[in-house]
Amino acid sequence: MIQWKRGSRREIANLSIWGTSYIHPRNPYIVALWSTTFPGYGHLLLHKYIRGFALIIWEIFINQSSHLNLAMVYSFTGHIEAAKHVLDVNYVYMYIPLYLFAIWDSYRTTVELNNLYQLIETEKPSVNAFTIKPLENNYLDKRNPFMAILWSATVPSVGQLYLNQIISAFFTLVVTVIFVHYSHFIEGIHYILQGNIPKSTAVMDKQWLLYMPSLYLFNIFETYMNVIENNKLFKTEQRLFLKRAYQTKNLKIKGNKVTGNANRSNF
Amino acid sequence: MQIVATFEHSIQLEMAISKMEQMGINDIFAIPMDNRPEQPRLFDTIHRSDGISLFSTGMILAVFFSVIGASRGFALNWGPIYWGLIGAGFGFIVGFCIDLFRQTRKKKRHREIRGKKTEVVLIIECKDSDGQEVEKILWEQLAVGVGKVH
Repeated sequence: MIQWKRGSRREIANLSIWGTSYIHPRNPYIVALWSTTFPGYGHLLLHKYIRGFALIIWEIFINQSSHLNLAMVYSFTGHIEAAKHVLDVNYVYMYIPLYLFAIWDSYRTTVELNNLYQLIETEKPSVNAFTIKPLENNYLDKRNPFMAILWSATVPSVGQLYLNQIISAFFTLVVTVIFVHYSHFIEGIHYILQGNIPKSTAVMDKQWLLYMPSLYLFNIFETYMNVIENNKLFKTEQRLFLKRAYQTKNLKIKGNKVTGNANRSNF
Repeated sequence: MQIVATFEHSIQLEMAISKMEQMGINDIFAIPMDNRPEQPRLFDTIHRSDGISLFSTGMILAVFFSVIGASRGFALNWGPIYWGLIGAGFGFIVGFCIDLFRQTRKKKRHREIRGKKTEVVLIIECKDSDGQEVEKILWEQLAVGVGKVH
């Protein structure tokens, strides 16, 4: 049995009032693919929030400046000339390097963190299970993945709140409101529900609407993933605690005498 | 007497231990168990999470196809929202099938466990007179099973 050690070199998790961050093994291809849907999303999955938010803000700025989404709509609908015309040459070449960097960097980071996880796991670091501060508290507990999916499906950011990822929830909410405002997404749904498809199509903004699928589906996936890993962290912390505090060496199992035949019946 | 109880990992488990300690019972032994690996399922649940559910590829492909569907929707009769949703549904099903196919091709080495699992075994040494109270605490805190040895 691996012994409980205090003061290990690396930490595996950090629990604060702003949220819970932790390292756990992930599939680097899944992380890299989320980076292709929206630069920064791969980093958010790795709990590298500052990098993730920076890349997301950059993506929104550069996509708006280069009209990339609009060019995508024109390309997919076969209007190649319109796509060429609408792309801003000055900005689109700035788009490409960072787009590829986000994919490459999230892949590389995942591999490195997976390696580190293996090292950290053998060190058995202690995990803080509870924190309370004047304005907020946070603790490890089991949460329900279905609830995370359902709440995330209402408005992106609510799932993060369920997990007490305060900063992530705030950032996601701001981005969601901006996207809904400019894309007229909810207006579009409103007219669809009234059965007026042409009006719904006309009212929505092509450039902004293309952000919606990745925003909406990513947030469902992210919160789901975090609930699962959060529950695993809870379990790991409890196992370490039980092993440390409730494994005295003088335990003797009571009971009637076991006759020799009982164990041999299998042979 | 000795009482043996099995639990899943939960806050209730720690509450049970704490309540028994308040009764003055100090001989408590806990053994966290390793469980048999399971077959992956579509979603993980609150009590069961191995992280290899059949969800990841589906969600990414849902985004890809939803973007393409919504784009093309601007030129099609049903509009971007319906085509975006159709794209998302199509992408998710394709991704789900890919994951399912890859998982079923892996060797099935372990039989599936359904329902509640034993994740922690508690052994409690207490006076015979405390037995009933301890048992009540264990059941109240959602023990999976409880056994007694006199």
